[in-house]
Amino acid sequence: MSKSILREVEQLVQANVISEEVAESIRLYYGQQETKGGSWLIIVFGILGALLVGLGTILIIAHNWDALPKTVQLIIAFLPLLTTQAIAAYIVLKPLDNIAWKEGSATALIFAVAASISLVSQVYHIHGNLGRFLLVWMVLSLPIIYVLRSSLASLLYLIGITWYACETGYFHYPQIPLAYWGLLALALPHYLHLLKTKPESNFTYFHHWMLAGSLTIALGTFGKDAAEWLMPAYMSLLGAFILIGQFNPFSRTRILANGFLVIGSLGTIGILLSLSFDSYWNYMAHNIVFDALEFYVTIAITCCAGYLLFLLIQKHKPAKLNAKSSVFLIFLIIFFVGMRNAGIAQVLINLLLLVLGVFTIREGAMANHLGRLNYGLMILTALIICRFFDVDLSFVVRGLLFILVGAGFFAANYWMVQKRKRSQ
Amino acid sequence: MKKLIFPLFVIMALAQWIVPGKMILDSERVLRDGDVYKFKTQPVDPSDPFRGKYITLNFEADHFETDTLQKFENGQEVYLKLSIDSLGFAGIAALEAERPENIEGVLITTISNTNPYRLPGRQYVYFEYPFERFYVEESKAAEAERAYWDSNRDSTHTTYALVKIKNGQAVLEDVRIDDKSIVDIVRAINERADKPKN
Repeated sequence: MSKSILREVEQLVQANVISEEVAESIRLYYGQQETKGGSWLIIVFGILGALLVGLGTILIIAHNWDALPKTVQLIIAFLPLLTTQAIAAYIVLKPLDNIAWKEGSATALIFAVAASISLVSQVYHIHGNLGRFLLVWMVLSLPIIYVLRSSLASLLYLIGITWYACETGYFHYPQIPLAYWGLLALALPHYLHLLKTKPESNFTYFHHWMLAGSLTIALGTFGKDAAEWLMPAYMSLLGAFILIGQFNPFSRTRILANGFLVIGSLGTIGILLSLSFDSYWNYMAHNIVFDALEFYVTIAITCCAGYLLFLLIQKHKPAKLNAKSSVFLIFLIIFFVGMRNAGIAQVLINLLLLVLGVFTIREGAMANHLGRLNYGLMILTALIICRFFDVDLSFVVRGLLFILVGAGFFAANYWMVQKRKRSQ
Repeated sequence: MKKLIFPLFVIMALAQWIVPGKMILDSERVLRDGDVYKFKTQPVDPSDPFRGKYITLNFEADHFETDTLQKFENGQEVYLKLSIDSLGFAGIAALEAERPENIEGVLITTISNTNPYRLPGRQYVYFEYPFERFYVEESKAAEAERAYWDSNRDSTHTTYALVKIKNGQAVLEDVRIDDKSIVDIVRAINERADKPKN
């Protein structure tokens, strides 16, 4: 317990401001807080320790001790696996309900699996391929999440399968990494369990971010011959994220803990800004193909997002929803307009961004939230900067536009601060 | 659910042993029973984050010329029928997309790319050998590469990979310069460098 608080409490008792009973309950409260904080520190250091030991083991193995006989090298390859499995067996059999031990041993076991496969391939000079190695590693690591009920194992697993999706889908002879979707589905029960039992735990928050990030990265691997469909597919996926972020328990957390809403919102604005230029529309108008996997993927994701929107509208009034909730549907209409007329689509995208900027400012003002108000202003500024590059306006007009937006920033923030002062 | 955890743990632990275990068994079987081939090569020295330092082997026989235009996907698995020249080095006699009935003297590999040849109807098919990395201790990787380049300047030296092949599967046993293992050559260089100068 902080010594200063202890002193303050004693002084308050002596000055008869608080009774001895109240003082005791304050001491008790801070005592408990300290214990909680302490156990968190042990978890964090336990995990960090296991991560460092795991990575260190891999580096030591990477040195390649070729002076040792092959049998000794192979025994060394299995030593980390044997040790971490023994610790895990102890935790399972005991059963030990200590988070630091569970998370730490799960992390170490994941790295031990990688170390054993790597050393065996090193001893026999097996070239292999990174995608296949990551796939095998993750399949062998998946049960660790459930056996040790480890959230860190789940996070590492999500990173691993995303890496696998990138390696297979983007880097080395790109193919659609279908296994990724199966592996992702197998990790979901743990995530749903977290949502149900610990909706306000930091591990759950990290899972929101990781899951949204992983899906965003992996969707692009579908892009092959009809990649122009990826834009509506991404808009629907990010739209679905924005909608998920407004359901319970996501909506009860602070914005930074709501990974779905943040990635969905920033991603939507980012894509719209990139499509406010004419290059995509000019290309798309001549190259659209309907009988393609990308088309069916877009339909499937849009249906899911549409269903989420339907569920949300039943719960809340449409006016109370985030301004970007139905952007994916509006975008789909603009996309079909773009097939006929690229110019009109581009103008509509610019108008959509303008409306979104204004609505976000309005939302911020109504919710008395400076961050959201400035986010709306940032959208408008970004839109103006984009037009700065490709619209043939004179420097005077461009300069005036910037001054206007700058003044808008100042005025809106000043107004909000004044409003807060008045309400206080 | 709690009753299931321990059996699940046992299955998981076994699987985590079986995968590397099977890799060892397969490789040992090829090393014990496989036929020996020598592939002429030129090494360089990169590194791999998981498995440390290795020499990348660039093989002289890295492509095959076909007299028909066949469609191959990059990364596709193909079957190379190996031949041996008068000096005892391996070459490619034929390339098949389908698994041949007689797998003896055949190596399974993947296509890296195909290039149409200047004559109509002909093409070069490039492939990746499944043994393009030779792992060495990290401090020796640079020495091994230097030893290679020194030998390469003198055209009388020959560098080759010693590979054993069985049922289409290959295991790289050694990299040799003039029939001497590159590991022994580097060891000799290091010992010479460690000796105090009189």
